[in-house]
Amino acid sequence: MEKTTHFGYKQVDVEKKQGLVKGVFDSVAGKYDLMNDVMSMGTHRLWKNYTIASSNVKEGDHVLDIAGGTGDLAIKFRKKVGPSGKVILSDINDSMLHEGRKNLINHGVIDVEFVQANAESLPFEDNTFDCVSIAFGLRNVTHKDAALKQMHRVLKKGGTLLILEFSKVENQMLEKAYDFYSFNLIPKFGEYFANDEDSYQYLAESIRKHPDQETLKTMVHDAGFEFCEYHNLTGGIVALHKAVKT
Amino acid sequence: MFRLTIEKALNHIINVNNIDIAPIDNKVISLGVDDIDLSLFFLCLNSRIFVIDNGQNKKTDVEIRMNKASFLSLFKGIPLEDLIEKEDIEINGSIKTAQNLADLLASSSIDIEELVSQYTGDIVAHQVGRSLNQIKNISLSNDGSIIDNLKEELTTILIAPSRAKIFKGRAS
Repeated sequence: MEKTTHFGYKQVDVEKKQGLVKGVFDSVAGKYDLMNDVMSMGTHRLWKNYTIASSNVKEGDHVLDIAGGTGDLAIKFRKKVGPSGKVILSDINDSMLHEGRKNLINHGVIDVEFVQANAESLPFEDNTFDCVSIAFGLRNVTHKDAALKQMHRVLKKGGTLLILEFSKVENQMLEKAYDFYSFNLIPKFGEYFANDEDSYQYLAESIRKHPDQETLKTMVHDAGFEFCEYHNLTGGIVALHKAVKT
Repeated sequence: MFRLTIEKALNHIINVNNIDIAPIDNKVISLGVDDIDLSLFFLCLNSRIFVIDNGQNKKTDVEIRMNKASFLSLFKGIPLEDLIEKEDIEINGSIKTAQNLADLLASSSIDIEELVSQYTGDIVAHQVGRSLNQIKNISLSNDGSIIDNLKEELTTILIAPSRAKIFKGRAS
């Protein structure tokens, strides 16, 4: 087992990463939605809508949204599954869960369960969910392979895995512009809107350290999933990986 | 978008009409349309159908090959046996399973001609939205508010990967 891992561009002890990530999200939780809108110029809503449209979720389904944060996906899943379905929003970070609970109440959604859980050891029975989603959360997980295996375990046969995550930009010109934007402007936005430049520097760095589309696809296969495919959105700034447990 | 539209339409039909897809449960059906280089895999699991671009060398239970005209005919409800009789379609595997899928495709109410024309690049970009009219009407009557459904469809149109450009030169 490796003793160090990356935290953005820094190498840190494996056991320290979780605490460092917690520090980032404790710091940004209150401004998380605002910053998402600012940084992506609202596009994150379109990415999430596309994720929901691809989910194949239907009425009565049980859905687990891992690293659900402020609950954007959970709200949409709740509408999809109807009164006979069930949605669980899980996050390792209590500050994010607190923001999620507030956000859902503000949207009039009260029938979503909240569970504080580590994606690497999910506290659910085998074969429980029809869909497991994780949006912009996997890159913060220390042992991604362990988390993917857990997602496979808790999904039912025929269940769908959805991973929405920053990825590798396809076009070189767009990549240059995106790099400039990420490393020069996003930390400044963080400083201006959330009074936290470092956390948004980490965001930009963690995106570059995250596996690219093909690597993640292989990891998903290795975790036991089949029929894994990915869809690049906005030129590969973000990719949606979808796979099925067979 | 092509694959997603078909997947959504099929699952909607299954849910609304409470169609029992047990006869094709756990089956992988490959459907290839030679003259437009289209290959789709239909996977039936957990009371729903997944439409996948790439079978990734999976063993298929049924392999169906046809030309574009037969593909369009399938969605228009032309009986499978008529197409087999005319030798417009080639099936390797269970005919019954192929028939089950053909029946589902025929009942899906997709404007398949327009969808295929998008895939092959026969139409200009501003016409893209029209092909979703059918599926949009279906979804509007089913789940969520009008605004939510429109947002969902617009998202698909705006950011979903499109193959139209790739196949522009192949328009027939």
